[in-house]
Amino acid sequence: MTSLFRIELRKLLTYSTFWILLALQCSLLFIFFYARGHVQVNGQMAGATLYQFPKLWMHLTYVSSFLNLIPAILIIILVTDEYTFRTLRQQVIDGFSRANLVQGKYAVVLLVAVLLSLYLLLLGLGFGLYFSPSSGGGSMFTEAQSILYYLVQLVGYMSMAMLVAFLLRKTGLAILAFMAYSLIIERLIQWQMPDSIDKYFPMKAMGALVQNPHKELEQMVLGASDFLTPLQATVPVVLYVSLFCFLSYQILRMRDL
Amino acid sequence: MADILNIQGLSKRYGSVQALDQLSISVPQGSIYGLLGPNGSGKTTTLGIVLDVLNATGGSFQWFGQPLSKSTKRRIGALLETPNFYPYLTGEENLRITADVKRIDHSRIPAVLETVGLAGRKHSKFKGYSLGMKQRLAIAAALLGDPEVLVLDEPTNGLDPEGIAEVRQLILDISAQGKTIILASHLLDEVEKVCTHMAVLRSGKLKVQGPVSSIMATNDLVFINGGAPLEQLLQVARTLPFVSDARAVHQQIQLTLHPNTDGSAVNRAFFAQGIALGQLVVRKKSLESQFMEIIKADQV
Repeated sequence: MTSLFRIELRKLLTYSTFWILLALQCSLLFIFFYARGHVQVNGQMAGATLYQFPKLWMHLTYVSSFLNLIPAILIIILVTDEYTFRTLRQQVIDGFSRANLVQGKYAVVLLVAVLLSLYLLLLGLGFGLYFSPSSGGGSMFTEAQSILYYLVQLVGYMSMAMLVAFLLRKTGLAILAFMAYSLIIERLIQWQMPDSIDKYFPMKAMGALVQNPHKELEQMVLGASDFLTPLQATVPVVLYVSLFCFLSYQILRMRDL
Repeated sequence: MADILNIQGLSKRYGSVQALDQLSISVPQGSIYGLLGPNGSGKTTTLGIVLDVLNATGGSFQWFGQPLSKSTKRRIGALLETPNFYPYLTGEENLRITADVKRIDHSRIPAVLETVGLAGRKHSKFKGYSLGMKQRLAIAAALLGDPEVLVLDEPTNGLDPEGIAEVRQLILDISAQGKTIILASHLLDEVEKVCTHMAVLRSGKLKVQGPVSSIMATNDLVFINGGAPLEQLLQVARTLPFVSDARAVHQQIQLTLHPNTDGSAVNRAFFAQGIALGQLVVRKKSLESQFMEIIKADQV
């Protein structure tokens, strides 16, 4: 696994697309969280409550989860590139197995998820300390486990993006299909299904990993809806990630490269 | 000697197209084995299957007498169809990835770049390379693990005449070190110049295989006339055991001889029948006409 990881790093470190998308994601995370705290509610800056530990972590991960499309697109580009450059084929000729190809890309998924989660942790600490310097010490890291759930969510999203990319092979098509499923198709199916079943659907289960700070308000308006708690959602999401990796492997095994 | 690669009854279908039909060949150790055939005859498909990137519809193959595995792959260096590299990386960076995938040391990278004449451009990005340089980098990557077998699919594609001559010399040099080379080409001339053995493919079917000398030397044409009327010459010729075909062409009798017989055998046989031939001409078939004949056989 370490040698696979090293090979993936060699491909990434000088790839401008990788850095541009990563920088874009980091700036958008900052801008989103900053803008959200600077909305005036009743003549008062929302940030006053938003940036308070420990509530901050829930708000931060919730806002960030709206931006998961960018890392997913990054993974799709990295996978479909390998088809465009025909490098998957060359690596299999040179000694990789089909499983190695999936493992290599899964390593990238983990890398991006860890990088973004660490960034989010720093972002949270920065905002929290800057806007409410008085609250310190003890309460700072309570509920910081939200970041871990956010990490699992990212891994889930990107694994799914990886599967779509291995399946469709063309960058544009894969991005379109991923967006169509994650934004529209699954919601249409959920709409037809009882909550007790659709809470286990991939997008909904992944969404449940990050808590909505306005859940009570939303349920009051839209009616009660059955949600998994983040801890409960971890189980189906981990299963989905394994399934996505396994299916990616099967696709590579059955098809010509 | 042992066979490096053994292929038995390999078939491949793409939808309704039978790209490869029951192909069986064996590549002897130390040979330069040419896979010859027109475009679309199944050369790349064959190599793609034995290199693990295409799934065969039927048949089997062994490298070094074993099924393909990571360890057998490491004994093979291959260039299939196109040079496949990351365009945004330099030649050297690309070779580092190849070396890591093959799990070999990076110390051979400068040497192979030197061998293919890319040492001066190793810090340029792959996308800036000319077609010939890309092809050279692919050959460098194939040489990287110092493999026992080199599989080269159209290695001189895109090279200028000088580059073609260099690559052919390189192939001969590597072969001189006792390595086996499998070379796919649609250029008859290329196969004839460098290969010791060859297999000719057409529409996915094997037409002929064996040492180049025996395939190319067979079926010399002999033209005779004089000494007797043409009809009589024709009659006599048809009785001779070593003549596989005799026909009248342009006031001459054209004979096709069995392998390993020559003009003097014809002369002796006619003389024994009391006919002194006025003229006897042996014509080696041109390579192209032999090639066309091989690939056109059974095509009615």
